[in-house]
Amino acid sequence: MTADHSAQAEAALQTLHRCRHEIESLDRELITLLARRVAVSKEIGVAKRGAGLPTLDPAREAEVIRRAAGMARDAGLNDEKVRDIFWHVIGLSRSVQVDE
Amino acid sequence: MIIITRANITDAELDAIRERIEQHGMRTHLSRGVERTIIGCIGDESLLAEVPLRSMPGVEDVLPVTKPYKLASREFAAAPSVVRVGDDPSRPGRVAAFGGRAIAVIGGPCSVEGPEMLRESAEAVRDAGGVMLRGGAFKPRTSPYAFQGLGSTALKMLADVRRSTGMPVVTEVMDPRQIDAVAEHADMLQVGARNMQNFSLLSELGRVKRPVLLKRGLSATIKELLMAAEYIMAQGNRDVVLCERGIRTFEQATRNTLDVAAVPVLKRETHLPVIVDPSHAGGVADLVAPLSFAAIAAGADGLIVEVHPDPANALSDGDQSLSFEGFRSLMTRLGAFAEAAGRSLGATSGSATGAAA
Repeated sequence: MTADHSAQAEAALQTLHRCRHEIESLDRELITLLARRVAVSKEIGVAKRGAGLPTLDPAREAEVIRRAAGMARDAGLNDEKVRDIFWHVIGLSRSVQVDE
Repeated sequence: MIIITRANITDAELDAIRERIEQHGMRTHLSRGVERTIIGCIGDESLLAEVPLRSMPGVEDVLPVTKPYKLASREFAAAPSVVRVGDDPSRPGRVAAFGGRAIAVIGGPCSVEGPEMLRESAEAVRDAGGVMLRGGAFKPRTSPYAFQGLGSTALKMLADVRRSTGMPVVTEVMDPRQIDAVAEHADMLQVGARNMQNFSLLSELGRVKRPVLLKRGLSATIKELLMAAEYIMAQGNRDVVLCERGIRTFEQATRNTLDVAAVPVLKRETHLPVIVDPSHAGGVADLVAPLSFAAIAAGADGLIVEVHPDPANALSDGDQSLSFEGFRSLMTRLGAFAEAAGRSLGATSGSATGAAA
């Protein structure tokens, strides 16, 4: 391996290291946001009960999914996969509303 | 219920239709084909009875799916499905495709007996034109005193052989507790005939990111087989390959009776690939070739064949295993039948692609 090659490999490894670090901090942000979303959902659950509304609201869920799919497309992401992810996110929020 | 959309439908129109359906507590599934895109509705269809979907922009037709299986049904997909096995960037190796133009043949021993015999089998199967290796680690035997398989030791052997030969591997999973370990080592998870209606196992497999080979139960109807596939698909895993392996009849000259008609019936009912196991169907090595030819003629997308370096001394199913020579001979003769059926015999490569119709 020439000196050029090893310098290139070294640079690539540094990039890899930096990117992994960034992924870690992004994951941390994602979890923080999910926790915030769940906390807000709990509040919504309380408010719904206070207003005498049913906890489950499929129409609202469908609206959230549609908005997420549109934003995913605009961001250049696979909207089908993002839809799947958001159904799980909704499930997470729904379970805390129902369990409360 | 399925919604057939116009060819020029926009993303926004698709979104609006799906929102209208999901508002009623149902889920939607999109299948994009070359000529048409289909939205499948999953859930209690009576909820949509009063919803005027037909008048929404982009909708060409709304059709009921009268079959109890939805995701598995032919109507739900715009084209026949091609299931790709071993297509995982973290695992370099060959890719096997089921459901394309090429007929995919899986070969290998009934059970993994040791590293040497497994490697020899994998190489013999590969060199004869097979695209995948089979090998049992956990064996569901009729007798609790019969050889039960090498378990997790066999899983590691399978993974080693996959690395050294590039052949994707399929092995049976009998219990939901084994799923993680099997998925870690194998490329495809098999549900055996005796577990076809183990619904907790099927549901768990629906959450795994690995294709599933679902074998027909000994006494299961075609509808029951499709409902079992539906269980897996309903949890999110759409990569299911069905396998006809013979059913129990009054006939005792063969181990089971190969239900050849099940192949064209399944191909009519479902978009999922269908393969045949001639080894278990006939129960003797002499029947493997003629049953294989019949399967291909009937429209099967592949075969799963038991192959052993020394069938006379195999720890299980020796009577129905082909020797390496027997497998080579089968593969040579199979070519003409594949061609007559308008197919080819699948050779694997790192970039194998299924001929998605």
